Amino acid sequence: MEVKVRINGVDHKAQAQLLAGNLWVHANGRTFTMDAGTGRKSRKKAGAGGSSDTVMSPMPGKVTKILVQAGAEVKAGQAVLVMEAMKMEYTLKCDIAGTVESISCAVGEQVALGKALVKIKPSAE
Amino acid sequence: MTKMPGKFTRIAIANRGEVAVRIIKACEELGIETVLLHSEADINSRAYRMATKTICIGPAATAESYLNIEANINGALAGGAQAIHPGFGFLSENADFAEAVSNAGLTFIGPSAEAIRSLGDKVHCKELAKKAGLPLVPGYQGENQQVANLITEAERIGYPVIVKAAAGGGGRGMKLIKSSAEAAELIESAQREAQSAFGSPKVFLEKYLDRAKHIEFQIFGDATGNVVHFFDRECSVQRRHQKIIEEATSPSLTEELRRRMGEAACAIATLGKYKGAGTVEFLLQDGEFYLLEVNTRLQVEHPVTEEVLGVDLVKMQILTAQGEYIHDPKMIRVPRGHSIECRIYAENPFLGGVPSTGLLGHVEWPEGPGRRYEYGFDSGDTITPYYDPMIAKVIVWDENRQRAIQKMIRVLKDSVVFGVHTNIPYLIEILSHKEFVMGTMTTRFIETYFADPIKEPELTEVEKKIAAAALAQARGTQHAGATASASASPWMTYWRGI
Repeated sequence: MEVKVRINGVDHKAQAQLLAGNLWVHANGRTFTMDAGTGRKSRKKAGAGGSSDTVMSPMPGKVTKILVQAGAEVKAGQAVLVMEAMKMEYTLKCDIAGTVESISCAVGEQVALGKALVKIKPSAE
Repeated sequence: MTKMPGKFTRIAIANRGEVAVRIIKACEELGIETVLLHSEADINSRAYRMATKTICIGPAATAESYLNIEANINGALAGGAQAIHPGFGFLSENADFAEAVSNAGLTFIGPSAEAIRSLGDKVHCKELAKKAGLPLVPGYQGENQQVANLITEAERIGYPVIVKAAAGGGGRGMKLIKSSAEAAELIESAQREAQSAFGSPKVFLEKYLDRAKHIEFQIFGDATGNVVHFFDRECSVQRRHQKIIEEATSPSLTEELRRRMGEAACAIATLGKYKGAGTVEFLLQDGEFYLLEVNTRLQVEHPVTEEVLGVDLVKMQILTAQGEYIHDPKMIRVPRGHSIECRIYAENPFLGGVPSTGLLGHVEWPEGPGRRYEYGFDSGDTITPYYDPMIAKVIVWDENRQRAIQKMIRVLKDSVVFGVHTNIPYLIEILSHKEFVMGTMTTRFIETYFADPIKEPELTEVEKKIAAAALAQARGTQHAGATASASASPWMTYWRGI
């Protein structure tokens, strides 16, 4: 869909499309997307920054190796799980130190984006 | 000598995505029909719609479809093809496949199984190169694949060491080991990736050169076995050992180096009795070059060579397999201008490149002089998590490197992909980086300057207003099908049905 808008006396042309609740816009050489319901920038799903007690799947893919066991002690930044998507392996690390509280996936399982995979109980400090 | 196969009337394609489309186009120009051997997951793709005939050879998992030798051969026979083009990746460098194709009475469009074994197997290739006196990177290429032994060898070579899949390419099954602490984990990971991507867990080790440029030569052996090179490409911009941006010719070679490396490339290819298109890869550091490997197939980045030389490597491959293509000794090829290719990956550059999958919305690759697009999917197709994330290649040509860079930035800004995130913003930042612009980048360029995800810029006031207007307009015209599923759209079904 082509969009034409006049902003402060300047004409802007853009391409836009609603797809699965998201609005996609291409304007002035840049593509961006936002939640069509809230009109805000699409919320970043799991995997991005921030300290969290849960290791989540940053993408749809397959769990190929689980490197920790429930009850094991982990350090911040320790590799806990290996996933594969699009023929590449991705090692997922935990953000915080603590003990592994639960593992909610199995080797060979196809998991969705944002699924909680490993929960860490923070060490008491 | 095997008998000349004669002209093909139908060629089977054992591949998918943009390379399948590329092969179909070459076949169409030669008046040859095509049979696409595809997986269940690839029904929504351009190649599926373009091929003369399509045969499903198995489910989405590559081991059961694209890597299944028997399924591919049975499909080609059932489809009435006389030859199989393997594209790149999958079975393209698998000597057993090449052999099985010949045994089934079909022609493998590529080098002989023997040439693949001697050159394509990275371990054998190094032995051959050693005999020929070509410079090699120090490493371990032994048969003992036990992790403990590989660790011992890695210690002997001295870290950093790179572990690579013997049967592989494209960055899969390849890891950089910086210290003994991470050796076991990375070697095991490389073995798993190698098994998953190439059907063999065999790996080898190499000393990691820390400020090298990746330079490769396109070689071509004609139907008589005469090998020439079609000049060089530079592919130093790599992330996780996967190329992102490639160009022809390299901005780093002196004429003297170009001559010597070209001669070395032809020498190794001639030793391996090479027929068809192939690539000899080198690392160049401090004015010295080292043979890295030979890729016994068409390369993803072949278009940049085609653009600067005005050749069609895929047509040449087919003609060579028919016994027709012979180098003209009077033909002097001189590279003209500069060509750059960017690989468009379905990934989110603001989240460190995690794969992005889903239904493709509107897609636009704007035409213009010196622009070329190779893509495998249209609006309404689904990008699945089963395969390589490369969904398209953008190639530009211009009179010199600086103009080609400028053009590429403009072309990427003009391109539209909705529905999945792409690395386009990432590519634009790389193309604008001082070191890339100067042409001095090494294979460590990405890890040095782009180790962290690029920052997503906040929306400007103008962009917010555009988005608000777009949202209002979209809501008013929802019946036009913007949110309807692609398969439910009547015109799309109509065109798909042809």
